[in-house]
Amino acid sequence: MNNDIILKTENLSKSFFKYQVLTDVNYVLKRGMIAAIIGPNGAGKTTFFNLITGYHTVSGGHVFFCGKEITNWQRHKIARIGITRAFQVSNVYPRLTAYENIRQSVLAQQKRTLNFLTPAERLAKKETLELLEITGLSPLKDAEAGILSQGDKKKLELALALASKPDLLLLDEPTAGMSSEETHETMELVKRLNKEIGLTILFTEHDISVIFGYAEKLSVLHQGVLVAEGTPEEVRQNKEAQACYLGEEI
Amino acid sequence: MEIKNTFFKKYWLPSILFAVAFILPLVITQFWIHVFTEILILGLFAIAFNLIFGYMGQLSFGQAAYYGIGAYTTGLLMVKANWPFLTTIPISMITAGLGALILGCFCVRLRGIYFAILTMAFGQLVYFIIFQWYSFTGGDNGLQGINPPPWLFGATPYYYFTLIIVTIASIIIYAITESPFGYTMRAIRDNTERTEFIGINVYRYMLINFVISGMFCGLAGALWGPFNRSVAPDLCSWQHSGHPVFMAVMGGPHHFLGPMIGSVIFTFLNAFVTGFTEYWPLVSGIIIIIVVMFMPGGVFGIIKQKGYLSKKQAVNNTTNGVGH
Amino acid sequence: MEFTFIFSQFISGLTYGMMLFLVASGLSLIFGVMNILNFAHATLWLIGAYLCFTFWSLMQSYEVALWVSIPLAALATGAVGWISEVVLIKHIYKRELHEQLLITYAMALIFGDLIKITWGPTDRLIVRPPIIQKPIHLFGAPIDSYFIFVILIGFAVAIGLWCFLKFTKYGHIVKAAVFSREMVSALGIPIPKIYTWVFTMGIFIAGLAGGAQSAIGSVTLGMDMAIIIQAFCVVVIGGFGSLMGTLVGSLIVGEIFSFAILLWPDGAMVLIFVITAVILIVRPWGLFGTPLRA
Repeated sequence: MNNDIILKTENLSKSFFKYQVLTDVNYVLKRGMIAAIIGPNGAGKTTFFNLITGYHTVSGGHVFFCGKEITNWQRHKIARIGITRAFQVSNVYPRLTAYENIRQSVLAQQKRTLNFLTPAERLAKKETLELLEITGLSPLKDAEAGILSQGDKKKLELALALASKPDLLLLDEPTAGMSSEETHETMELVKRLNKEIGLTILFTEHDISVIFGYAEKLSVLHQGVLVAEGTPEEVRQNKEAQACYLGEEI
Repeated sequence: MEIKNTFFKKYWLPSILFAVAFILPLVITQFWIHVFTEILILGLFAIAFNLIFGYMGQLSFGQAAYYGIGAYTTGLLMVKANWPFLTTIPISMITAGLGALILGCFCVRLRGIYFAILTMAFGQLVYFIIFQWYSFTGGDNGLQGINPPPWLFGATPYYYFTLIIVTIASIIIYAITESPFGYTMRAIRDNTERTEFIGINVYRYMLINFVISGMFCGLAGALWGPFNRSVAPDLCSWQHSGHPVFMAVMGGPHHFLGPMIGSVIFTFLNAFVTGFTEYWPLVSGIIIIIVVMFMPGGVFGIIKQKGYLSKKQAVNNTTNGVGH
Repeated sequence: MEFTFIFSQFISGLTYGMMLFLVASGLSLIFGVMNILNFAHATLWLIGAYLCFTFWSLMQSYEVALWVSIPLAALATGAVGWISEVVLIKHIYKRELHEQLLITYAMALIFGDLIKITWGPTDRLIVRPPIIQKPIHLFGAPIDSYFIFVILIGFAVAIGLWCFLKFTKYGHIVKAAVFSREMVSALGIPIPKIYTWVFTMGIFIAGLAGGAQSAIGSVTLGMDMAIIIQAFCVVVIGGFGSLMGTLVGSLIVGEIFSFAILLWPDGAMVLIFVITAVILIVRPWGLFGTPLRA
C-alpha cells in the first residue's frame, strides 16, 4: 500500500436498524492534504467520521489508516494511533476550565494519566499554554468550559483534538457558530499546521468560503453515497453535485 | 516564609480541622472521644466512596462490601490467628482491594442506575456469604473479642491512632485526586465519551479507581473492628452502603473534605439523637430529605454559592485548590 | 424424592413467587414509567400488612373480617402512596439518580419508624377464619389453603394489569411512557397526572400484597428490608417495566428459594444474587426488558 495514502475506506456502509445511512463509500485521502466532505444535512458526513473514529461499528466495509486495517477498533486505540476529531456539537469537559480541558488531552497524549502522585498542576504547562495560545483561548484559560460561547467551545474542541498530536485530524463543522474573523483565524491555523507539520486535515463544512478557500480536494456525499469528487472547481461544474443541492449555488 | 504562606493559604481548612481534632480529647468526655473516632472512621469510608462518586461520577451502592471485607479480615486474623493488629491493616487493604478488583471487573462495564444496582447486588452477595458462612465468619453472631493491642487500649489512644491513620490516608487520597489520574477521573465523570477519544481506556481507568476506593474502604473497616470490639455482617449491608452516599451528599461531593464534614454532621447527630430517642431512622430520614431537597451540593455547595469564599480563592478552587 | 414433597415445595415456591410478583409489579411499573427506584416500596407493603391487621382486629367478630380488610388495606396504602407522590416524589423526577435513591431510601426509613411508632415492636398475628385454617390436599400433598388464595390474587393482579395495559386508553399511555417519556409528553398528554396515578396504582398493589401477606404468618418489623432486595432482584431479572418479565422473574426467584432449601439451604440468597449479577452483566435490561432503556 502506498505510503502516501493516510486514509482509505472500502465499501464502507452503515445502517441503523433498517435505515441505511451510508452505502459503499470508497474514499481515499493522501497524506498532507486538506480535504473536505460536503453534502446536505443528513447525508451521512458525521456518520462517516463516526465509523472512522470507532464511535459506531460498521455494518459493512473496511477502514484503513496508513495501510493498517482499523475497522471497528476501540475508540481509544484509534485515538492513540493518530486519528483525532473535533465534534460537530462541542464535546468538552463542562466543569473543568479551558486550561484543564486541554491539559487533560495533553496528559493523555503524554501517557502520564496513570501518574498517581504528582500534582497535575505542575505538569504539561508548556504544551497546554501553547495550545491555548495558538487557538486564541489564552484570555479564557481559567473560565469553566461549560459557560464559553459556541465559537470558543469550538476552538476548545480544536485544541483538544490537536493536543493528541494526531497525524489525521477530522473536523466536523469546525467554524460553526464563529464570527467571520474567528472563522478566518481558525482556518488559517489549520492551514498553517498543515504546512508546518504536515498534518492531514479532513473536514465537513457548510460555509462556502471556507470550502473554496481551504479545501484541496472536495467530496460530495448525498444520502449516504459519494456522488462527486475532485478539486472544488471540478465539483462546482459537476451536474450531480449541483442536483443534490437542488439549485443552491455552490 | 513564602512557602509557608502559600501552604496555609491553600490548606487552611484541613489544617484547622486537624488542629481542632488534635486538641479535642483534652476538652471532651470519653463518650464523645468515642463518637469522634467513629466520625473519623466513617469519614474515611465516605472519602474513599467519593472517589467513585464525586470524582468519577458514578453511584456505588455497595462500597460497604469492601468496608466489611476489611473489617472481617482484621477481625478474623486477630481472633482466629492471633495476628497483631498493625500487621492486619495492610492485609485488609489488600483483601478489600482484591474484592473490588474481582467485583469491579463486572460493575465497571455498566453505568448509571445499572452500575448502582449491580454494586448493590454484589454488596448483598458479600453480606449473605458472610451471613451464611457460620463456621468461618460466625454468621449473624459476628465475631466477638476483637481487642486492640494494649498500647491502644482506651478511647483516647485509639482516637489518636485513628486520627493519624485517617489523616495519612486522606493525604494520599488527596494527592491521587490532584494527580493526572485524578483529573482523568473528573474527565471520565464530565464526558466519558470525549475521554475515550483522547486516547484513554476508560474501562481500565474506572476499574483502577474502583480498586483504590475499595482498598481505602477496607482500611476504614480495618479500623472499625478493634474499635467496636466486634464485627457483624451488617457492615456489608446496603443500608450501610447508603451512609457514605449520604455523607458525601451532605458535605458536598465536589469538595475533597465534603464527605468528612458529612460524617461529622451525620455521626454527631446520630450519637446525639440516639441519646434521647430510639427513632433515629425517622430523624435521619427527615434530615436526608431536607438536605437533598434544599441543599443541593451539600455544605460546601452552599458555601461556594453564597460566595463566602473570596473571589480569588474561588478561582483557585476551580483550578488547583482544595476543590476543583 | 417423593412427588408429593416436590409438589408441595412447588406450591410453596409459587406462593412466594406470587407474593414477590405482587410486590415487584408496582416497583417495576414505577421504575418503567418514571425511572424511580422506590426503596420504600416494601415498607409500604409492610404498612399494608399492618393496616390489614388493624382493620381485621376491628372487625374480628365477623367471619368476613379478613376478606374485607385486605382491600381496605390496599385502598388505605394507596392513599398513603398518593400523598407521598404529591408531597415528595413529584419533585424528584427531574433530579439526579443519587438524589432519587436517597429520597426513597429516606422514605423507607421514615415509614419504617412510623410503623414502629404506630404498632410497636411486638409481632402481630391474624387469626385465620375457619375456611383457611386447615390444609387442603392436592395430589396427596398437604397445601396451606391460604396459599391458594395468594396464588389466585397474584394471577388476578397479573391478568388485571395485562388487560389494563392492553385494552384501556390509560394502559396504552402507560405502555408508551415506558418506551418513551418524551414522546408521550410531546403528544400533549399530561405527564405529571400519569405519574401520580401510576405511582398510586403501584403502591395500591403493594398494599394489596401486604394485606395478603398479613394472614400468611405473623407481621413483624423488618420484613420490608428482607423483601425489598429480593424485589429488586426480581425486577432486574425480569426486566424493568415489563409485566411478563416481573411475573417470570418472581416465579424463578420463588421456586429457586423453595428448592434451594433441599440442595443448598444456606445458599438460596447467594444463588439469587449471583443470577441477578449475571443478568446485569450479560443482559442489563433483563429477560423481557427493552434494550433501549439501557
